Amino acid sequence: MKTDIIQLFENPYLALGVSIAVIMAYLSVNAIMLIWLERKLSARIQRRIGPQRGPFGLMQQIFDMGKLLSKELLTPKHANKLLYVIAPILVFAPVVALSSLFPITSTYIFHDFNIAIVLILAISGINVIGIFLAGWGSNNKYALLGAVRSVAQNISYEIPLILSVIPIVMITRTMSLYDITLAQETYPFILVQPIALIIFIISATAETNRAPFDIPEAESELVAGFHTEYSGMRFGLFFFAEYSNMIFACALATVLFLGGWHGPFLPDAVWFFIKVYALIVLMMWFRWTFPRLRFDQLMKFAWVVLVPLSLINLLITTLVLKIV
Amino acid sequence: MLEQAVIYTFVAFVLIGGGLAAFSRQILYAIIGLGISLLGLAGLFLNLGSPFVAAMQVLIYIGGITVAIVFAMMLSIAMSIRPPDPDARKLGFAIACAVIFFGAVAHLIRGAQFQQIASPASEKAWSVGALGHALLTHYNVVFETLSLVLLLAIIGAILIARKALPKENS
Repeated sequence: MKTDIIQLFENPYLALGVSIAVIMAYLSVNAIMLIWLERKLSARIQRRIGPQRGPFGLMQQIFDMGKLLSKELLTPKHANKLLYVIAPILVFAPVVALSSLFPITSTYIFHDFNIAIVLILAISGINVIGIFLAGWGSNNKYALLGAVRSVAQNISYEIPLILSVIPIVMITRTMSLYDITLAQETYPFILVQPIALIIFIISATAETNRAPFDIPEAESELVAGFHTEYSGMRFGLFFFAEYSNMIFACALATVLFLGGWHGPFLPDAVWFFIKVYALIVLMMWFRWTFPRLRFDQLMKFAWVVLVPLSLINLLITTLVLKIV
Repeated sequence: MLEQAVIYTFVAFVLIGGGLAAFSRQILYAIIGLGISLLGLAGLFLNLGSPFVAAMQVLIYIGGITVAIVFAMMLSIAMSIRPPDPDARKLGFAIACAVIFFGAVAHLIRGAQFQQIASPASEKAWSVGALGHALLTHYNVVFETLSLVLLLAIIGAILIARKALPKENS
């Protein structure tokens, strides 16, 4: 039986505050650990050792955090002050808001929302505006170019992303993440929707601006893309947002395709996180294996390959569901 | 008390965003204003007990239309040029249109017979299933008409964009 954590509190505003605090704490620690993992993994892939301060190089991240937190927050002279300050918050806020929707265990969830998927697709679109404001507000040509690329990329890959989620909704006839997980008790949907999963993972990698889709921040072309002018913790927020978006996308893929918390022997939450972090390692592996795409290749791949493929997949799913 | 404050916050979002969208000289601010205004509207829907319509509002109007406008703007020169000074004739025409529209809507709302209901509509009445069913049965004609209007808008947009092409080629 499931229990909404929010309903355990008498005061809804207290519940909201506690939920946000827990999620923020988790996302921050997670981002720090993922940066460590990424550096270690990239080092192994490139036959290096990677960060070495402290046990397994873990202290390196603590020092880096200290550096980011204590750095001066510079605002460029010609930047648009208001937009420049708001942008990192707009990029990070959606992911915090949406993380509460995931059913990590079968017993305790933050809140079972019956239109969770629509809400996720809706609110995750907001961070595009944040990225654009960051690029435009910085008043720097590299930042603006990065932002322009990012918006184009995000718009293009959002369509196959949404189209790859729809078959799952059609099979389960629900948009609640809890019910979708329940529907996968016997077998995960990766077995019936493998193409949708591949499209989802590719689109999600593009949506999080990670290599091989990292042209918005291609360091060899655009310095650092849309966050070129950011320093200190404002830059840190973009960094956190990237890793939080990663875990968010992988958690969504886990719930939709890999059966969420279902699994033998181990407790629910453990299975959920094993699947999520396996997908994250996969995304990191992508980054250090594939070269960056050129911009026209990237757009062509979205519109000529992914969109028709997801439409065909949708059509086949519809036909099969109609016949069966 | 707190609920009242939340409602008025959303109303303030709608009004301030709308004002920003209408009066700003810089097109980017106008778009941001539009986004804020639509976000406030989504909040009002949420307050009326319809999270689905609120989520759709955010998905279509903020994630879709506002981002599309940003996209269109950054591909054009509109962002970097100084906006032209307001033309008195256009301004007068726009104000007249706005006043007429506002008057018509206000008249309709004042004349409408709203029923006082004891409790807000149940979540079932606003559920996705109920909405989908209503759209494809009772409101089918409206639904199809709206999709036709959208199709016309798309074709019109393509036509407008196409017209410039032969000139550039010649």
